[in-house]
Amino acid sequence: MKRLLPLLLIIILGVLTALPWIAGPTLVQFAINALMLATLAQGWNIIGGFAGYASFGNSIFFGLGSYGVAIAMVQWNLPFGVGLVIGVVFSVLFALAMGVPVLRLRGHYFAIATLALSQVMSAIFSNLDIAGRNIGLVLPLLRSDTLFYELSLGLLVIATLTVFWLSRSRFGFGLIAIRENEDAAQSMGVNTTRYKVLAFTLAGIFSSLAGGIHAYWITFIDPNSAFDLSLNVKMIIMAVFGGPGSVLGPVIGAALLSAISELLSSTLSSVASLFFGVVIVIAVILMPKGLTDCWLRFPVTGWRYFIHNIRQHRL
Amino acid sequence: MDLLFQVIVNGLLLGGLYALMALGLALVWGVLNIVNLAHGALIMLGGYAAYYLFTLLGIDPFLALPLVMMMLFVLGYILQRYVLSLIARSPMFNTLLITFGLDVIFMVLAQLLFTADFRTINPSYAGTHVTWFNLTFPTVQLFSFAVAMCLTVGLWLMMLHTRIGRAIRATAQNLSAARLYGVNPKQIYALTFGIGAALAGAAGDLYGVVSQITPYIGATLTAKCFAIAIIGGLENPLGVIVGGVLLALIESLTALYVGPTFVDVASFGVLVLVLIIRPQGLLGKTA
Repeated sequence: MKRLLPLLLIIILGVLTALPWIAGPTLVQFAINALMLATLAQGWNIIGGFAGYASFGNSIFFGLGSYGVAIAMVQWNLPFGVGLVIGVVFSVLFALAMGVPVLRLRGHYFAIATLALSQVMSAIFSNLDIAGRNIGLVLPLLRSDTLFYELSLGLLVIATLTVFWLSRSRFGFGLIAIRENEDAAQSMGVNTTRYKVLAFTLAGIFSSLAGGIHAYWITFIDPNSAFDLSLNVKMIIMAVFGGPGSVLGPVIGAALLSAISELLSSTLSSVASLFFGVVIVIAVILMPKGLTDCWLRFPVTGWRYFIHNIRQHRL
Repeated sequence: MDLLFQVIVNGLLLGGLYALMALGLALVWGVLNIVNLAHGALIMLGGYAAYYLFTLLGIDPFLALPLVMMMLFVLGYILQRYVLSLIARSPMFNTLLITFGLDVIFMVLAQLLFTADFRTINPSYAGTHVTWFNLTFPTVQLFSFAVAMCLTVGLWLMMLHTRIGRAIRATAQNLSAARLYGVNPKQIYALTFGIGAALAGAAGDLYGVVSQITPYIGATLTAKCFAIAIIGGLENPLGVIVGGVLLALIESLTALYVGPTFVDVASFGVLVLVLIIRPQGLLGKTA
């Protein structure tokens, strides 16, 4: 199984690369969206899954990336690539500037500070003339789902490879040490502030690129959709459902959950969101360590896995 | 000048209601260490309970307060006892996720059961007001301010002087020590969450009188409650009053002098600043 896994992944990747030439346009559009969510979940995984900081601010980077592309293309007539770079530069600057004070906060306080920051950013952008205020910006139309698909897939692969590197590097172990016990990590010589800010920046770069690609694909952005809080909640749910701190967990979580919600919402939309809520509640209770952990342990322990989880975490 | 004073009066009156909205969230957060993302949804459910008690049975929203609080208490007690206590020792974002899931469930259920229409509780005295010193005090706002203050101070006295209050504070300070002294944490946690939900219900009842309820108000209200609880600090219900009044004043003064589109910049900006400079809240003790 261990030796087959890389081969399996390469086959899956090959099929995914060829998808636009095999599948119909609806499936490709669904896949672009799912790939974007998977990239966002993977980005969240770096700061939330590895470092254990539940960030509600990753949608800020998504928004900065979107606006970077939109402002560059609409206001300054620059090419798409330059826009992506502008978005990334802004995200990195933001992560470095806000990361230092905000990452001093722990637990819930960090979560709420980032949540508030994303609201502030949304409100600031809805007052900026260059960003089209509340009305937003309309980007030039490019009808090439294949291009967007391959771009999104490439970005997801890079993000996942980065997380794979993270999972076996000194930097990644430092982040895990911070998650498990920050004071102990610091006393063992981990420069916690630098590690956390770097993780936040890295997460920001991927979210920003995903935002830039999404903005050009969807051709319209406004402050509400660019700094959408529910998008942030979605990436957390997907990462945690799949398995926070694992390499493939967030990708699997994103793929499964977007497929389920797509299938349901095409039939009954309000029942779909009800189902989404119920799935979250049950998943958190029955498999708090995510799908990957369940997949590894369930064959060994069977149904007792769920009972064990409840026993371990209940009051 | 009159306009400024009127805006300050409006801010103060709204601030009382804000404090009551955040009170339950701060209580649950401080004692159970759960940041309840479904708090706004509980407020929304309280609003609907009061709305239907008023339109179907003709019960005045202020007289319906004990009833609404009782209903929400039962809901909160059951939620904590049979759902949330299952993950009490999980990592922090699991509690965030599960309460977010509950928020979604409540919102969709409310949308299915009560429809998405705007609802306002409209008692006969809704449009009346009192005038003192050239300033207008709308009757319902004045009443709801008084009720909010009574409940907040009442909670404070309960926490200080009753057996349950002492048990709750003991559990918040040290779970194992409280357990050794004969406190049953399951019971206390469920009671605390129930009280938090009851306070949310009361806030929803009043919110329905002074504003409008839809199934979707939950998320915004939760965000506001965060801001208030953080600004005021979690230790003391009186801090929440300060937080509520401050937030309401910041909001109304920003809307007046800077512009209505900058309200969120100001209120959430203050929240971030408070978090960075004084994470224990404006009134909290320094460690």
